[in-house]
Amino acid sequence: MSPIDPRLQEALDGERDPGDLPADLREGYALLVAATQVLKAMPPVSVASRVMAEIRQNPARVQSDGPARRLFRWLGGGRAVTVRLRPVWTLALAAGLATVLLVPWSSGIPTPGVAQGIANFVGHFPGARSVEVVGSFNDWSRGVLHLNDDDHDGIWHADAVLPAGPHEYMFVVDGERWVSDPLADHYVDDGFGAGQQNSLVIVRPVSAQP
Amino acid sequence: MVNDGAPDIEVVAQVLGGDGEAFGILIRRYEPGLLRFATRMLGNPDAAADAVAESLVRAYRHLAQCRDPGRLRSWLYRITGNRCRSHLARRHTNDISLSDVPAPALADSSDTWAVLERGEQVALVERALAALPAEKREAFVLKHVEGMSYEEMAAATGARIPTLKMRVHRAREALLAALEEVVR
Repeated sequence: MSPIDPRLQEALDGERDPGDLPADLREGYALLVAATQVLKAMPPVSVASRVMAEIRQNPARVQSDGPARRLFRWLGGGRAVTVRLRPVWTLALAAGLATVLLVPWSSGIPTPGVAQGIANFVGHFPGARSVEVVGSFNDWSRGVLHLNDDDHDGIWHADAVLPAGPHEYMFVVDGERWVSDPLADHYVDDGFGAGQQNSLVIVRPVSAQP
Repeated sequence: MVNDGAPDIEVVAQVLGGDGEAFGILIRRYEPGLLRFATRMLGNPDAAADAVAESLVRAYRHLAQCRDPGRLRSWLYRITGNRCRSHLARRHTNDISLSDVPAPALADSSDTWAVLERGEQVALVERALAALPAEKREAFVLKHVEGMSYEEMAAATGARIPTLKMRVHRAREALLAALEEVVR
């Protein structure tokens, strides 16, 4: 196998008019174009009915309820609470964490149970209009768990009662930008093969908190 | 309710809003290309149909994780490409077995020369493609058969654009060498 003349590569990349190629290269060009046309033939099969049947059998895996209903069901599920602290890098963030830790019992967070805990999500997103968390614990659904920045210092935070154990998550900033948590304890591949990583939080049960 | 011509981003929102049937629009839109891609990757139509069906179900289950529904096509090809790679890995090789690719067709007495030529062409090209390593085969098919830009290919494979260009160039060289050997 010998290298193809760069002019032929350029023609195949659409960067050169194939009509400008010398005759011997035009032959190779025509051969590869003809091969491509052969490969473009569509397979005469369909898996649409098979896929839709599978989806209809188990439709609930994709978000099928509205966010409010899902949140209501989630909050009403008799969950328990633990507190998880993450390192801070500024005094303001430390203050925010302290506030979060002091407030939860009066802010509507459900009473902690035995096998669940509170995940504390904190991110520094100056100028953001909205920040939310999506993850494996809420089927990656938008509109369920929003972070707040009440004092407008760019530090957004929220608590969530979660089952103890590992949970993958991402921040969604301004409704469109997916961002890993730079302070996450761990990261895991998102499983779609492009080298993107989800953040991972390991929630400890309330009984394990010091 | 969205119609068949609605942009991907609207259809995805409809599905995530609870209308699972709307996913059928996306299937109709992308299934033919995905099936062709998987068939070229695996060299076997049945295995390709399995790979695409599994990929579409997986895409539905994880639709909320599609970070940019405006680039849904690349995301679907990425999932399908991963499924094809898993399938090839189970064979303990990245190459298609030539037994999966039909040999050049033999004409019976009723065939015209044109049909014979066409049948031979298809088998010849498919076998030349099957002889490529999986990464080069994938790059060539995405570029020349599925008509993707290098940017779309990068999103669909996770590989860098210079790497993809090199794979496409090498695939062309190998294919041209194989085809010229037969033609001459």
